[in-house]
Amino acid sequence: MKTNKILNTSNDLRWQIGEGFHDKLTEGIYSDAATIAQNSVQKKGDEKRFRFDRSLDKIVTSKIWGFPIMILILSVVLWLTIIGANYPSGLLADLLIGTVYPWLKSIGESLGFSWWLSGFLFDGVYLALAWVIAVMLPPMAIFFPLFTLLEDFGYLPRVAFNLDHLLKKSGAHGKQALTMSMGFGCNAAGVIATRIIDSPRERLIAIITNNFSLCNGRWPTQILIASIFIGALVPENFAGAVSTLAVISIALLGIFFTFMVSLFLSKTMLKGEVSSFTLELPPYRPPRFWKTIYTSLIDRTLIVLWRACVFAAPAGAVIWLISNIAIGDSNIANWLIVHLDGFGLLLGLNGVILLAYIVAIPANEIVIPTILMLTVMTASITGVGSGDGVMFELESVSATGDILKAGGWTLLTAINLMLFSLLHNPCSTTIYTIYKETKSIKWTTVASILPIILGFIVCFIVAQVWRIMV
Amino acid sequence: MTNPVTSLVIFGIVVFLLFLIFYPKNGIYWRVKRSLEDDTKTLIEDILKKLYHAEDNGNNLNSNDIINSLNSNPKKVLETIAEMKNKELISFENGDIRLNELGMDYALRIIRVHRLWEKYLSEKTGFDKKDWHEIAEKMEHQIDSNQAKELAIDLGNPRFDPHGDPIPTETGEIEPINGKPLPAFSEGTIGRIIHIEDEPEIIYKQILAEDLHIGSHVHIIENNKKRIIFHSEGEEFILAPIVANNLTISELQKEDISEEAIFRLSNLKENEQAKIIGISRECRGETRRRLLDLGFVINTKIEVDLISPMRNPRAYLVRDTSIAIRNEQAKFILIEKIKNHAKSNI
Repeated sequence: MKTNKILNTSNDLRWQIGEGFHDKLTEGIYSDAATIAQNSVQKKGDEKRFRFDRSLDKIVTSKIWGFPIMILILSVVLWLTIIGANYPSGLLADLLIGTVYPWLKSIGESLGFSWWLSGFLFDGVYLALAWVIAVMLPPMAIFFPLFTLLEDFGYLPRVAFNLDHLLKKSGAHGKQALTMSMGFGCNAAGVIATRIIDSPRERLIAIITNNFSLCNGRWPTQILIASIFIGALVPENFAGAVSTLAVISIALLGIFFTFMVSLFLSKTMLKGEVSSFTLELPPYRPPRFWKTIYTSLIDRTLIVLWRACVFAAPAGAVIWLISNIAIGDSNIANWLIVHLDGFGLLLGLNGVILLAYIVAIPANEIVIPTILMLTVMTASITGVGSGDGVMFELESVSATGDILKAGGWTLLTAINLMLFSLLHNPCSTTIYTIYKETKSIKWTTVASILPIILGFIVCFIVAQVWRIMV
Repeated sequence: MTNPVTSLVIFGIVVFLLFLIFYPKNGIYWRVKRSLEDDTKTLIEDILKKLYHAEDNGNNLNSNDIINSLNSNPKKVLETIAEMKNKELISFENGDIRLNELGMDYALRIIRVHRLWEKYLSEKTGFDKKDWHEIAEKMEHQIDSNQAKELAIDLGNPRFDPHGDPIPTETGEIEPINGKPLPAFSEGTIGRIIHIEDEPEIIYKQILAEDLHIGSHVHIIENNKKRIIFHSEGEEFILAPIVANNLTISELQKEDISEEAIFRLSNLKENEQAKIIGISRECRGETRRRLLDLGFVINTKIEVDLISPMRNPRAYLVRDTSIAIRNEQAKFILIEKIKNHAKSNI
């Protein structure tokens, strides 16, 4: 009886306090806090520092300089990452694939491993791991610290401030500009970075569309294919410029899709999610250089690399197994390629590419080595590669081109591969990260399926139009 | 390989069919789904609501009025009315239909669920204002009184829905609205908007486009048969009487009037200083709480700090912190401009 009475009283009181209760409570807290602060906090002459902040803010958010400064900084960061990563990537590849790999093989031999055990362990699992580390680690170790330095300095919130109006038009949050840029480094890291967006709807939009930012794992594929097929269309002097332009167009196309899909999602599936925008512009701080380097390496680079490795190892095993286990008179890979070929050709791709994208879900980095290995295997090319199920890459771009052309590649295949590389499901590391961040199977599925459906549609239409026109 | 033209045509047909089937609201899939649902219950509840609103306005309805006002098969409506009479929800009086006590209770229950659900949509979801009514129209037929009770507790037993309509209590009590439609007031009146009617949709959309807020003070400047002009929060509004009729105003006592110096934060110019005097009631749920948490509370001094290259959002200096909000949100923050430019130490 007594509890009932209390409950009734509380209900009555609830009725009486009215709607502005939360407002009044917050006001009370603030005025108490202000009184306490006034009595106990002493201010130093902070005025000067403040003025420096303001004048810097006036420049980076100004009508004239705001956008050029942003574009310049992003280009410098991307350029440093792509160019700067080449050298350490080469070194790592030399070490892990050129030196350690033969050494492991010979150890296996001296221990009397049978061909399948050594193939499974070294050609499959180890090679995939080595590839992922060699291609992934250097760009991330350059990109993330640079990005974190900018963040620490306080510049990134200003970027969100500048771009919010543009992003709002597609129903997104200004901070999505940051997570998109982060996605150029790595989509998994980009998805983690969406934590800075505090509005649920805009955060989901940012997570689902992050995959349209061309990540580090895909830049090399784009650059390679563009220089083999598109650069070759023009005189040699212009080849470099034209293929660069092609890659940039793909990245811009990705941004276009980000906007379109954001708009679509905010008008349909995400209509009911809560949306609110606020953005604090913190004062500028001198970045703490070493601390930043340390945390960005640990928090972003190593965690993402670790997740990628966890997924890449089994993928390597699968790649080796499907190329070496026979059904009837052909191996699984061949059988799958034959069956995927019809659909692949309809999309202007081929069975090899589709199979490569299926087995390389764990990491976009191993797509090209897998395609090369599978092409050599199915087209029965001799003299290159090191056997079925052993991924490889060639030093020479033209030799790579020769293999692909022998595999039946045309300019259409190349263009569609570039499109498909942009528009396909996120890598498994990203999918797993999306699940961790959203805790929702539904949104994880949407984020995984939506891009690949788009990829199929775009490739299909391009292929048909191409065949009609050419 | 298939002919590219053929495959494009097939693709086009497939897309077109999918479009036909799943087109929102009127797609084949939705129509089939709707026709499979038993709609007698929905129809009964819709008729009860019509009767309740008519009686509330002092009108009487007969069977023909109901048939004309509902978008259903007339034969079905007549059958349903007969069924309702059998269930003693309604009775006939000189050809007019009247609600019995049972029917009145039922109608209030439906209205309670409808308004609670609108409240829920406004507080806990991101659905647009103009979608609330339609969603609530569906949900009112699906929620039973236990669920309604849970919902009410979850929302803190609200008394009014987001349009300013009172929500009936569980026992069927309902607070009266103490106001009159805007055109009923004379020029010079100062009042407060306490209710915005959300039906019919065409007029409601016009009100939404004008960006009028519940709880805003209005000062009527001109009132005649052609148009009504009034000032509210630093802006001038011109409405046709038929639109203004859907705004309910309660006149303010002289001592409550804080004159016309109330502006919206979005009107604050650079180099001006102001004091916050509140957040509009139209700003709800998460957005409102975030603004409060960031320090947009009454009596706080505020000025424009930065304007982004495209003029939206703007950053404001609140308690020594620069906080950016969009102009759409700044509209909800009400301020009083501080006239003298003597810069005080905050």
